[in-house]
Amino acid sequence: MAVSEQPTRQTWQDLLYEKLFHNYIWQSIFRSGYPNTPRNQMLVVATNVFLHLHPTRIHRTHVKITHTYCLGGLTFFMFLGLTVTGAMLMFYYVPSVNRAYTDIQTLQTSVQFGQLMRNMHRWMAHAMVLLVFMHMMRVFYTGAYKPPREFNWVVGVVLLVLTLLLSFTGYLLPWDQLAYWAITVGTNMVGSAPIFGPKVRFMLIGGFSVDQAGLIRFYTLHVIGLPLLAAVFMAVHFWRIRRDGGLARPL
Amino acid sequence: MATAVQAARPAGAAARPRREREEEVLVWPDLLFPEFIAAVVFTMTFLVLSTAANAPLLEMANSNLTPNPSKAPWYFLNLQELLLHMNPALAGVIVPTVAILLLMAVPYFDGDHEGQGVWFGTPNAVKIMAFSAIYSTVATVALILYDSLKFDQVWQMITGHHMPAWAQGLAGIQHGIQWPSWSLNIPYLPFNLHLMDSDFRTLDFPYFLSQILIPIGTMAILPLVLIWICRRWDPTRRGAMVAFFTGFMASWVVLTVIGTAFRGEGLQLLPVWDVWNIMA
Repeated sequence: MAVSEQPTRQTWQDLLYEKLFHNYIWQSIFRSGYPNTPRNQMLVVATNVFLHLHPTRIHRTHVKITHTYCLGGLTFFMFLGLTVTGAMLMFYYVPSVNRAYTDIQTLQTSVQFGQLMRNMHRWMAHAMVLLVFMHMMRVFYTGAYKPPREFNWVVGVVLLVLTLLLSFTGYLLPWDQLAYWAITVGTNMVGSAPIFGPKVRFMLIGGFSVDQAGLIRFYTLHVIGLPLLAAVFMAVHFWRIRRDGGLARPL
Repeated sequence: MATAVQAARPAGAAARPRREREEEVLVWPDLLFPEFIAAVVFTMTFLVLSTAANAPLLEMANSNLTPNPSKAPWYFLNLQELLLHMNPALAGVIVPTVAILLLMAVPYFDGDHEGQGVWFGTPNAVKIMAFSAIYSTVATVALILYDSLKFDQVWQMITGHHMPAWAQGLAGIQHGIQWPSWSLNIPYLPFNLHLMDSDFRTLDFPYFLSQILIPIGTMAILPLVLIWICRRWDPTRRGAMVAFFTGFMASWVVLTVIGTAFRGEGLQLLPVWDVWNIMA
């Protein structure tokens, strides 16, 4: 061990490494050096805002792919992908009953990669619903909801509901027959609730049938209200994983 | 260092249990790299998928032209399927609300630390899961076939006669039986309680029985029977939770699949290829 710590002749790779990673600018951005030593590998996770949700060390059974199948992470990744593709779609879409449908048509036919962005948004949305269910099953069958993680399971169920609502509100936006009647059928279900059902339905779609008021409500909920709420619950969800001692382990 | 200490122990002594820290790996690279690879694989998959398959776009929305069948998004078709079999408030609002609340309550029912952190960590968990999945699938399919008059159709093919009205389906219970006329209009309040457009005064007993009482009873008793059967494999709360959760997921999947792929024009129960032809 000690032998390798003796200074050896510097090669051009070492010089390049020094110039790239041990200079003033690099170290002003990344407080740690390049993560090629255990110390720097831990520092890079602990000091980087995007990585610091992770612990610096993790039990070896938890990095096995068959333990989690990455399902929670992939659900979050779908959320990120949907945010990016969704923001791109927003540049071309106006939530008006007169424009919405033709905007989608124009997006598909006249916008570079417009169809691709819409397709990715659609398929990722379906995938997110599937992944969130699979993640719930993984957590259940590994018994990971047990104390002290009870409340994080509750937060997870809230996130499941928010995912369904996000997908449901987005379903109306293309304003085609599929969208219109799916939302009509869906909101009629809400309207059938005893006593307060019709009022809730009226509040949800801003009228007695799905029209401009409903479209703008669904649009606003879809692009800002529900994503913000989901982001807040996700923050709590991820924070609690760390606070409750990481992934569940046999006692 | 660790090996040196262990080697110094007398031969035959039990190996020192490995310390927690020694069982740990560094998040960079052992977790972050697989996460990065998963992200890349999924991005590529969705790029390829989105190049191959376009998101659907039908004609522009037209409130005067109702498509047949009209369906909710696929993840709500389980509720739309339930809607065909019971009171709409029960199927569309109460059942999903209760299901969500029960899901949230799972960790508060089953709070002991047994079997966490490993797949199917309690004894017989796999057996209970398999049994519960089969039981719930068979029960849900059978109930849907019953309420879609399929048993009656088969019975008629074999014997040439109809089944008794109550055996034909829930509609048979409501309409096929000669209910006395007073039972259609039982006053239970001396005045009309008018709450936000809903009337509460009289009870249509055949409707109440077939659309509310029998569905609630079925949804309560079948899971209880399931949990009672599964007691033999695991009498703990975890065993009951595995049976309950698996049963819920299995019925949810069955309802979704039937609502999506087996409901055609007028939401009739049809073979999957007929539904495919309508939707295509």
